[in-house]
Order: sequence, then structure tokens, then C-alpha cells
Amino acid sequence: MAIENHNTGNSGGVRPVVEKGEHIIARHLIEDDNIKEEKNLVIDGVDVSGRWNTFIISRVDSDFDRSFFEEIKKTVVGSRINRCWQCGMCTASCTVTPLYRRFNPRAFIYMMQLGNLKELKKYIDVAWRCVGCYKCSQRCPKQVNPAEMMEALALVIKKYFPEEVKTKLKLDEEVKKIYEDMIIGHGRLDLAKLHTSAMQKSGKTKELLGKIERDAIFKMAKDGRAFSILRLGKPHNWSRSKEAIENYLHKLNTIENGEAGV
Amino acid sequence: MDKLKENQAAYYPGCALLTIDRAYNNSSKLVSKKMGIELVEIPDYNCCGIGEMKSKGAASMYMPLRNMMLAKNRLGSKNLVMACSVCYHEFSRSIARVKENRNELSAVNEIFKEAGEFNEEYIPDGEARHILEFLYNEKGVEEVKKNVVKPLKGLKVAPYYGCLYSRPSMYTFTDKKPKMDNSERPHFMHEFLEALGAETVFYGNEVQCCGGRNVVQDEETSFTLCSQTISKAKKAGADVIALICPKCAGALDVNQPKIVEKFGKDSELPIVYLTQLMALAFGFSKKEAEFGDMISEPLKVLNEKGF
Repeated sequence: MAIENHNTGNSGGVRPVVEKGEHIIARHLIEDDNIKEEKNLVIDGVDVSGRWNTFIISRVDSDFDRSFFEEIKKTVVGSRINRCWQCGMCTASCTVTPLYRRFNPRAFIYMMQLGNLKELKKYIDVAWRCVGCYKCSQRCPKQVNPAEMMEALALVIKKYFPEEVKTKLKLDEEVKKIYEDMIIGHGRLDLAKLHTSAMQKSGKTKELLGKIERDAIFKMAKDGRAFSILRLGKPHNWSRSKEAIENYLHKLNTIENGEAGV
Repeated sequence: MDKLKENQAAYYPGCALLTIDRAYNNSSKLVSKKMGIELVEIPDYNCCGIGEMKSKGAASMYMPLRNMMLAKNRLGSKNLVMACSVCYHEFSRSIARVKENRNELSAVNEIFKEAGEFNEEYIPDGEARHILEFLYNEKGVEEVKKNVVKPLKGLKVAPYYGCLYSRPSMYTFTDKKPKMDNSERPHFMHEFLEALGAETVFYGNEVQCCGGRNVVQDEETSFTLCSQTISKAKKAGADVIALICPKCAGALDVNQPKIVEKFGKDSELPIVYLTQLMALAFGFSKKEAEFGDMISEPLKVLNEKGF
């Protein structure tokens, strides 16, 4: 997935093609369909065409689905959703928002509070882009912990849009599965195996044979680090912990339980 | 296993440090020993969950807390020292959460009971400690100054703290406890580097994110963030960037050839761990500090500068 480039058009001194509602502040927060532009607008006999011809159609949020809210509140990561008062500090301090303009933690939390799945569906492609830097949680005045709320968002998307997860978020889902299988299954992380299998899943098998990767592997084989990876092993008696974790996850009756989710 | 002596501390190595990031592991141990604390690895450690387990409820807290139990049971130590910032985050998150929330504590204890590995329940009385904060508070800057035999005069270092060492303060208690670092403007690493005789540069990206978490799924984000950090440090005149997290090393060091390929020579700068520089200044050889392990070749700069 490519990072949206906002600077195209500004380079080379050529004025970019005028975007619909270009001069609206925080334009990326408004859907294209919600902007109404009039060519020749006359109000009460006064011609107001020109700069004043753009309007944002007011949005009405109705149909609050409180059951949805309770569902999120029951999870560990989403337990503080009720505290959010929509100040937008999370979006303002977000690392990802400048790169993906549609990634907006405040709006995601709002949609989750309302249970607005229809709106949430439009953002599935960017919803899992959180890098987990916790700037939002640090600066949140209500300790909502938006960074972990994004994990709750992932759970919600997994439950309600399994088809979209399979198509738009295929790689994310697969990499997460590799991590989880390795962490729960082996108790320790084999970074070499993780790297190669993730590269294969993302279709970069060619890159794996490229010079950069080859150099790194050669370097690690030469200084002996490659063999320490082979020696990593499992913690003693890990199978008991593994069983206990799996049992716990199986018994959960929240959306954290992936099996019972759908 | 014997209980710890007075000048020993229980140490959680983590998966990365035992394998590809041995440079950080070895140099941390060397530096701590020189400063008078021996780090003793806990036996049978397990992965902390590296942030990928968070959506799994109390299971995400069981992973780190099992290690706390090991430290208490096998080594008799309530606290656990770790060098990896991601592990530190997972540990401090779990401890802070179970301290605050009784339901989560009982859910974790339920898993402990079912696994049946320990005879007792988990009580959140210990602390997770990052090695930087640990050395700063237990030994202090003066102890560092005392041990320096080869000052790093003339080396300009850009300290890079990354995200999870100081954030969020609801878990790490930065700003909240008097001993802890500042969350927005951390300064412990600056003080250590200056005690070593090196010069620190201000470049503005000290606590920015490297995008390391999504480095596989969304490498473009990670590469963009890393290139910003490296080029800013380079512009500020830094010779090397000093890290305290193996995940940052994964993004800034291991991926550097790819970043340079994409963003050009501006994004090329040697990356080292803070403890490696400390080991060098404490008189250990470059081989002992494992500078050769880094992909971004810090040896060149260090040789040029005559260290």
C-alpha cells in the first residue's frame, strides 16, 4: 500500500488542479460527497458566487448502537472508550496521520462510541496502520489510551468485516498470525524465521535473494549470530503455559476470542 | 539456582538480544559489571509478546508476568532489569494494569493456576526497569565518569530514545515518579554520553517513532520515518546515532541499505547502541563491544576518529 503523496503538483511551480473544497481547513476529514459547490449562487437577491460558493453538508449521526459500545468496553484494550471526550489530541500528535491523511484516531474512537459501522467500513484500508508509538496515549488528557484503542478497532474490524480483512488487510492479518503462532506456540521469537516467512507472505521472495538480504545473512553466518538463532529453543515446560493460554482464550466471551467472534 | 547476591540483578534478555542483537546484550553486561552490578539472566525466560498479543486480553499480561514470577521464584528478586524497550513496555504495561485492575489480575492468576508452574499467586510488588534508567538511578552519572578510561572526545552523538522507553507515562511512570526520566524530553542518555566525553547534538527527532512495529506489513511508513530521523541527525552534524532499543536497530540499522536505496545518501549514518559506546569508553575493545555486528558500519567512523 502506497503512502498518499500530498506534495505532488506543488513541485515544479505548477499550480495543482483545484480540488473540490480546496481551501477548507482539514479538508481530508470531509468526504467528497459532503461538499457542495455552487457555480452561481444567489441568496436573497445577492450574488454570493466566488469564494463563498462552497458548503459542507451538515452531518447527522443517529442510531446509536450502545451494545457495540459495551462490547468494546469489555475488552482489555478498549476498556476506557467511555472516557473519550473527542478533543482530538490523539490525531494531533499521531505519527501516522501525516503519512496517511485518512488515519484519524479521534474519528475512529467516535465511530466506535456510536457504533457506526457503515462509516467505519470506509476506513478499513488505513485502520491498521497504527505504529504503536504511544504519543497519543501520553498526551491524552483523559487517559483513554488511544494507541490500545486501535487494537480494539482491529478486533471490531476482524469481527464485522471478515471479508475485507481477507482482501484489503491480508498481509497484516498473515503477519499477525505468524507472530501469534510463534509467541504462543514456541514461547520465544525466532526472528530469522519470522523475517523470512513474513517476506514470503508479502510476496518479496525475490528481494530475499537480493544483494542486501544476502549480505546480511552472510554477515550473520560469518560472525556466528545465525547459529545462536538456531540454539534459541523453547522455555522448559512451555507446553503447559501454551495450553493454559489457549484455554483462557477459548473461554473468553468478549470479541477478543477470535473463534466465537463471528 | 542460587538466589542473587547484593551486587547482582535479575536480567531479562529477550529474544532479539540473545540472537541477532548480541551486541546490545554483551555490551550491557560488560558495562553493568564494570559499574558494579552483575546482570544474571533469568532461566527459562519466555517472549514478552512484543505488542502483538495486546488484543488477546489477559494472555498479553501473562507473557511478561511469567518472567516476573521466574525472577522471584528462581532468583529471589522482585525487580527485573531489561535492555529492550519493547520488552520494557510490555512488562511495565502488565504490571501497571494489574496493579490498577483487580479483574485483570485475577484473570492472569487464573492462567497461572491452570499452567500450574508456580505454587503461588502473582502479586504485583515488583518493577520492570530499563537498563538506562536502572544504571542512572542505581549507579549514577558520577560512576560512569569514574570508569571512563578512553574519553570519546570529538565524537558527535545523536541520542535516539524511541517511543517506548519514556512513553506512555501511565505505564512507565515517567514524569510521575521523581526518579524517572522526562517523557517528552528525556535526558538520561544525554547525561551518560556527556559523561563519556562525547558531544550530543540536538536534532529534534529524539522521541520520534521508527515505525519498527509495522516494518514488515508497511515498510514504506517505517522507511519514511527512519529516513527523517537519520537525515535530521546527519544535518545536525552527528557522527553516529545511539540507540537503546533493538527494534529501533531493526528499523534504522538493519534496514539502512534499503532506506539509502530509496531516499539517497542523506539517510546514511552509522548506528550504535549506547552501551557499546559506554563499553568503548570504559576501555573494552571494539571487538568486545561487537561494533562489527552493526550493518551500518560504525567501525569506519570510530577508526577515523581514532578510538
